[in-house]
Amino acid sequence: MSKVKMKRTGFVLDMTPLVDIAFLLLTFFMFTAKFKSEAESEQKFQIKRPKASADTSKIPDKDLAIIKIAIDSANIGDTSYYYEMTNEKDRTAVYANAKGIDDSQRGKMQVKANLATLEELVGESRIQNPKTKFAIDADKRIRFKWLNDCMEVMRKKRATAFNLVTDKKQGM
Amino acid sequence: MAGGGTLGAGRERAKRGKPSKRKKKKRVGFVLDMTPLVDIAFLLLTFFMFTTTMTTPQIMQMFIPPQTDNVEVPMSKLFTIRVRGDGKLFYNPAKDEPQLVLMKDLKKLMFDANMKLKNQLITVLKIDDNASYDIVIRVLDELNLVEGDLVPALQKENLPRERRFTIAPMTEKDLEEIKPL
Repeated sequence: MSKVKMKRTGFVLDMTPLVDIAFLLLTFFMFTAKFKSEAESEQKFQIKRPKASADTSKIPDKDLAIIKIAIDSANIGDTSYYYEMTNEKDRTAVYANAKGIDDSQRGKMQVKANLATLEELVGESRIQNPKTKFAIDADKRIRFKWLNDCMEVMRKKRATAFNLVTDKKQGM
Repeated sequence: MAGGGTLGAGRERAKRGKPSKRKKKKRVGFVLDMTPLVDIAFLLLTFFMFTTTMTTPQIMQMFIPPQTDNVEVPMSKLFTIRVRGDGKLFYNPAKDEPQLVLMKDLKKLMFDANMKLKNQLITVLKIDDNASYDIVIRVLDELNLVEGDLVPALQKENLPRERRFTIAPMTEKDLEEIKPL
């Protein structure tokens, strides 16, 4: 018997199911992906949020003003306030009108503030858009004094309903 | 990628030898090389998988009373919880002496106190400036959890739950009282 050299056919794999699943996952991740805001990618600090039990309410994303109380460096005493607004139109107006904000900060999304400026900002935000929702995003390591001062500012400007940002407690 | 070699190879030349002239040619199915497509799809997939954050932050709603003149309330309806700078909790109903309470016992304590006075009880939270925010949130969280038990319990008695809660400033006098404990 003569040996017929069989032409070796390349390894063929049906990739259709693989591609199906890959695209399924791709679309899923594409739709669920939420990108960091411009301000978040610029900020140098990271906030360790306190954990609270599972709650269904999620942070609103329309007309939101966030007051961030963050620890700037490794030094715990180094705490400061940051103010951030999601609505661009309101933000431009608020930053232009609020006293205590210098020109270099005007174009930014997030500004560093002290208590006096914070009061201006909260007040101005309420004037520009009465529907503004406030949220306080504070680091869990800060002293209560920082939050208390912040709440006092909100009280003065009659922003009496606000949200505290937390993370979901695991295993609940 | 896998699937190298000519796709659909082996289908042609199923028969060797000269084909008759009018033989119907076997139609080769439409073959598309999907390798680049798959490459890009996986690239995007990995990108989105790594950039997406699964845990979106949640919120805890707070309402603070606007600046008003002091409202007089009967002492007997008060239930004070004090948080000391070192994170220890103390409670006292009405004018009683403050007592130490652990975080895990707080829920039961609050439930019992609320059931005694039903909707009349006013919870007052006083927090030391030096207490950490983490503790504050944990206390608030516990207090929120109590509501979940209270609402159905009061429902049985046909009482809609009305929550009365406030955060009050910690005074020197308050601090004095819990200092020796």
